[in-house]
Amino acid sequence: MRFDKDPDVDRQESMILQAELRDHLAPKSVAILGCGGLGSNCAAMLVRTGVLHLTLVDFDTVEAENLNRQEYFLDQVGLPKVEALAATLWRIDEAVDVRTIDGCIDADGLLSMVVGADVIVEAVDAAETKAMIMQVCTRELPDTPLVAASGLAGYASANQIETIHLADKVWVAGDLVSDVRDGHALVASRVMTTAAHQANAVIRILLGLDIV
Amino acid sequence: MIVDVALFASLSGFHTHEGQGHTRQYDLASGTTIADVISLLGLPDQPRIVFVGGIHAEETSELHAGERLAIFPPVAGG
Repeated sequence: MRFDKDPDVDRQESMILQAELRDHLAPKSVAILGCGGLGSNCAAMLVRTGVLHLTLVDFDTVEAENLNRQEYFLDQVGLPKVEALAATLWRIDEAVDVRTIDGCIDADGLLSMVVGADVIVEAVDAAETKAMIMQVCTRELPDTPLVAASGLAGYASANQIETIHLADKVWVAGDLVSDVRDGHALVASRVMTTAAHQANAVIRILLGLDIV
Repeated sequence: MIVDVALFASLSGFHTHEGQGHTRQYDLASGTTIADVISLLGLPDQPRIVFVGGIHAEETSELHAGERLAIFPPVAGG
């Protein structure tokens, strides 16, 4: 079902549309692979918009140096990221249904992590893992949309960040080239811009709209 | 046989001839594999994802006339 509406609406109608939007998104399920700068911010944006079924996957714990760009707080340092993020999402919407997987993402276990998801979000750090996720998901789940990210490091213009259509059911957000391994810092503004691109692509996919 | 080859991001400079956008046409011998194209273009040994016609393909796969090969190199950061 597509969700096309006239953008020229008054405030009262847009409030109704907001409720319709949430009704449409609420039953949808999104799997987020990686809960660092991309995944934690993307998850929060999706829940704020009305997505109420999320699977969160990450092996890491919250560290103080994550707080410059990731959706965590000082009192969560030391907690598993998936546990801390789930708690934050419940503070945004207590109705959210969160499945947490505190573990590494590898090719053998990947499919069980994303089972049932309407959309998969690749939000990991390592280029090798990004490639593996794209390979496995497009080979084994060719009909499930995948929203990946690549190129978000540094503090170049945020206007360089875009969402491109890479393959049949694959979209990539980022500037595609800014590699953290080239020594670029990870800056909240660009990380969160890329996460917002991912969240927006997910929402448009779930609404049956064209992505780019 | 004519095959469209799309090279994304940092790989775009490895095309052998000028053109618009990511994609160029290449005239390849019958039986050419994706790995042969990667070797022909001299692409660096780095993580990459390969699609033919929008679907993931193994690098050992043979290409066929009229297909579109796309190669994307993800970079670190998340």
